[in-house]
Amino acid sequence: MSERLRAVSGQIIALGVALLMGAIIILMVGESPVHVFMTLMRGAFGDQEKIAGTLLQTTPILICGVAACIGLRGGMFNVGIEGQLFLGGFAAAWVGFTFSLPTGIHTLAALALAVAAGAAWVAIPAYFRARYNTNEVVSTILSNYIAVLLTSYFTIFLFKRPGGWSETPPILATAYLPEIFSFSRLNWGLFIGLLLAVGVALVFRYTSWGYGVTMVGSAPKFAEYGGVNVKRQGFVVLLLSGAVGGLAGGVETLGVHHRFMEGFAPGFGFDGLIAALLANGSPVATIVTALFFGALRSGSLLLEVDTTASREIITVIQALIILSVSAQVLVRRRGDSQAGERRWKF
Amino acid sequence: MEILDKLINIALVAATLRTTAPILLVALGGSFTTKAGIFNIGLEGQMLAGAFFAVLGSIWTGSALAGVACGVAAALAFALAFAVLVVTFRANEVVVGLALNILAGGMTISLMKAIFGTRGSIVGHGIVGLPKVQIPGAQALLGSWAPLISGFTPIVYVAFIAVPLLVLFYNRTRLGLYIRVVGEKPEAAEALGISITRVRYTASLLCGLLAGLAGAHLSLGYITMFTENMSSGRGFMAVAILIFSNGDPLKVLAGCLLFGFADAFSLRLQTFGFPSYLVLTVPYVVALAALFALSYRARPKIIRETLASMQKLLSTDRTSAPADKNPQ
Repeated sequence: MSERLRAVSGQIIALGVALLMGAIIILMVGESPVHVFMTLMRGAFGDQEKIAGTLLQTTPILICGVAACIGLRGGMFNVGIEGQLFLGGFAAAWVGFTFSLPTGIHTLAALALAVAAGAAWVAIPAYFRARYNTNEVVSTILSNYIAVLLTSYFTIFLFKRPGGWSETPPILATAYLPEIFSFSRLNWGLFIGLLLAVGVALVFRYTSWGYGVTMVGSAPKFAEYGGVNVKRQGFVVLLLSGAVGGLAGGVETLGVHHRFMEGFAPGFGFDGLIAALLANGSPVATIVTALFFGALRSGSLLLEVDTTASREIITVIQALIILSVSAQVLVRRRGDSQAGERRWKF
Repeated sequence: MEILDKLINIALVAATLRTTAPILLVALGGSFTTKAGIFNIGLEGQMLAGAFFAVLGSIWTGSALAGVACGVAAALAFALAFAVLVVTFRANEVVVGLALNILAGGMTISLMKAIFGTRGSIVGHGIVGLPKVQIPGAQALLGSWAPLISGFTPIVYVAFIAVPLLVLFYNRTRLGLYIRVVGEKPEAAEALGISITRVRYTASLLCGLLAGLAGAHLSLGYITMFTENMSSGRGFMAVAILIFSNGDPLKVLAGCLLFGFADAFSLRLQTFGFPSYLVLTVPYVVALAALFALSYRARPKIIRETLASMQKLLSTDRTSAPADKNPQ
């Protein structure tokens, strides 16, 4: 069996195991697994509005997934995408409700600031990771908590909409991302995500910079002997990853909510990271995995209505998928050394 | 000056000890895995599972002790899953840890909805909290200083007593030595015939035990309730402490006291009318600042180690190069 076939069949078996365990947990919470899965399917693909809803949920997961892919390729775990998303979302909203600019330029300016905010938020952890080898997993996770609290503070204490709940004033219509259909909030953000995924994949495949990043990720010593400035590149990789995370927030604000509010996009950053891991760090494969998670999320909305199960059951299923894929019993050879270096490939 | 008196007093010190206890326990648990050479980012999830099942156990049995046992059992189950995947299947420890955290978050919320039919939090339902231990004679002996040693829940005492015990464990027991060898020089452990797998499993389960206690303290200690994601990053702060303390119990204690103080102090600031959102960031900011500052200080060590390992690499390259040419 070829290596690739083994890898793919391993993924599929792992998926089966995860779904089986998910079914057991659904039984534990007192629901019928078949009913839950059928409800999820109906909620995700039942009619054209549902399908548009699925794509709507897919968009931020996809962009966050691409952000995670950039990091993973370079051997970096950017677990802070959630925080970058929140800051990017707030930055875009701020541009949206503070300035008045012509249509189009306004959108671009807001997205640009979102990108800058995401990159700036990851800059300090990235600097310390590159320069002093400070573990980026912990520093980016901790900065998530700060980002969420900080944006809440901005929203509630500095820019609260008078008389509103915990949300900023709405952004001007000139900053909106255009909607695709009349019956859904699905917007051009989806195209941004798709273009980004393909673009990043092409950069990794056809440019020497992309090759260098992949080398640093898979064989840092080799890359260093080959003349890659590993530290500098680690910094740039995390910064780019953060920038894309910020973009995800900007797209979410300008395309869907048209304002920033407390807890505006919970969990998209983590979903993106999981989607990227499931896709083994490939941006194009992330399109598929993001669609899968988007469908789960969209389906879970109906789940909350039609069954007694809570929508968090899909987080359980996602986690189980990652866990069983990470074991990859089929792909691993028995002879591998116990003491050998663990790669991020899981 | 008067404000300072109000801010910093005996009550604050006692509050610091209270808030230190859960993070100290979970960090001491993580010290087992750190010493055994496993990067355990899954502490957060173990703690959360511990907190949730402690509440469940307490409601079902009507006993706080049984609740703690339930919480510890749940955390042990998560620790076992972590060990199976990381040690036996050699999966990536960051991926497994993060996934287990997500699993714990989703599972506790799903089960809460299934059992209690509510979202957000479990309050009431007959949750039995842990009793507070009044040390006899403390009031007479210390007067107004008594709250420093008396009136805590048993888990707080366990947390602080565990520190010297762990020092003894690492320096004076065979298992402690094995754990250190497996972490520092796995090749040496293998050569000595120590089962790396068994030692890492043991370390992971010991970690689960303490993380479960920490979780039980969160939900049955001073507030008797469970809320969604109530561990709120304490497991991650513990990992930050473990990184710069390298798992040494005394350094862990120092780091945890710092966070406990930051936690207690920020709660205190909140009552003075500072915006709660900013005040709540204080512990995370302290954790990050400590992580960065100490890794900056560790840079000569990093450079030394890099040089040493490069020298080793070069010398082994030279000696092994001719050997490679000989056909076996």
